[in-house]
Amino acid sequence: MTDDRTTLAMLSEQLADAVATAGAALVAVHARPRLPSTGVHWKDGLVVTTEGTIRREDDIAVTLPDGRHIPATLAGRDRGTDLAVLRIASGSLPVATLGDPATLRPGHLVLALARLDEGGPRAAFGAVSATGGKWRCWKGGEIDRWLQSDLEIYPGFGGGPLVDAAGRIHGVNSGGLSRALATTIPVATVNRVMAQLLERGYVARGWIGAAMQPVQLDPTSRQRLKHDGGLLLLSVEPDAPASRAGLLIGDVIVAIDGHSLDGVDQLLDVLGGDVVGKTLRLEVVRAGQPVSVDVVIGERSRRAR
Amino acid sequence: MTTMSTAFLSDAAERLRASVVGIANGRRGRRAAGGAAIAWSSDLFVTSAHVVTASHATIVTPDGRAVPGEVVRRDAERDIAVVRAAGAGVPAAVAGDPYALRSGSLVFAVGHPFGVRDAVSVGVLQAVSPLPRGYGLNGHGSFVWIQADVRLAPGNSGGPVGDAQGRVIGVAAMVVSGMALAVPVPDVERFLSGLT
Repeated sequence: MTDDRTTLAMLSEQLADAVATAGAALVAVHARPRLPSTGVHWKDGLVVTTEGTIRREDDIAVTLPDGRHIPATLAGRDRGTDLAVLRIASGSLPVATLGDPATLRPGHLVLALARLDEGGPRAAFGAVSATGGKWRCWKGGEIDRWLQSDLEIYPGFGGGPLVDAAGRIHGVNSGGLSRALATTIPVATVNRVMAQLLERGYVARGWIGAAMQPVQLDPTSRQRLKHDGGLLLLSVEPDAPASRAGLLIGDVIVAIDGHSLDGVDQLLDVLGGDVVGKTLRLEVVRAGQPVSVDVVIGERSRRAR
Repeated sequence: MTTMSTAFLSDAAERLRASVVGIANGRRGRRAAGGAAIAWSSDLFVTSAHVVTASHATIVTPDGRAVPGEVVRRDAERDIAVVRAAGAGVPAAVAGDPYALRSGSLVFAVGHPFGVRDAVSVGVLQAVSPLPRGYGLNGHGSFVWIQADVRLAPGNSGGPVGDAQGRVIGVAAMVVSGMALAVPVPDVERFLSGLT
């Protein structure tokens, strides 16, 4: 009995330590009326938060753990993955200690953290509910890992970190990606999106300028071409990568850059990568015959996001 | 023999549950208690002001006895009240210090959510402070509240929020933006001063 009591008190202390450790790298972000959101000091001088909590692009400030209020500037935002990056003065607070989200399994104890004001970090407590591989969220961005937890994302907790019992940060919690459970944007996605945002202020997504729908190939073509289906071109925009490459309405694209296509998702996965300006080879079925077409990938208009 | 992973908070909860009673408005004992109250001494019980709106209240002990009591002190703004019910024979809770805990410390609530007797819900402390900006509470936000990530429901009102040792650290009052609010024990003790 006494042992249980001590162990439980130790667990309680350990959770509070985890909050203190991870909380040292958290700021309150003031970029919307009334309620602040939370930001993670991801790298020196760079704060990550959720894009949905940035309601103004100027006059942004952050509150540091020591209570100081300092200005921040928006380095870039990506609606697709719900991430935004802010710049603050270098050396303002400790940098986050990152974990490896692949080590989290359903049932692991986790905390959602927040900083809302000059007071200490705030915490919500729960367990990892579900994990998995890559997925595409409804805002269109690719998230490198499925990571959902049984945690209450209270007002202002958006942009705050998912933290394990050792105080390591596994990603950024988004209130906007799912209603049922807390969704975490994992470390790998934050790193990838941050690199692009710092380079150009937004995440470039590839574009070929054609409308298409998934189709199944007929049995003879299937056997001959070793592809089950593809994407049928329904329209081709003038003066766009697809038309410049000579793609025609009625063509069926069965592969891009060596990736078989039987749905739009696989195409979006390829176009979501670092492909703008690159030449990719398309395998196409035209009038029943296989042809290869090289396309110089364009950049999707930022208005279209 | 049990381990922490199976026993978890059960010992602490058991200790605190022994001091939790049901409470209903008026002199007539009713089994369906409207809220919870905490035994603070042999005949003083602390609860929420919004649970006891009349001058008299009835305590329902863990063994099911209805004991008539009188509301001897009440502060609607701070949402706290004291009921004297002699002869209830319920062991007093051990008072803990919310300020000794940190954000992330384990806490739990005991109450009667939706009429379930002495139900336990578990979570962690968020802060002991006035409410953050943007969390509305019609002016009550400037009071110092225990703010916790613990599920409360109607029927938890007046019940304890406890620490990992099973000591009461606050009196559950309400839910704001999903967050549990409780009156910190030092404020409760100040409120009780002079009563014996």
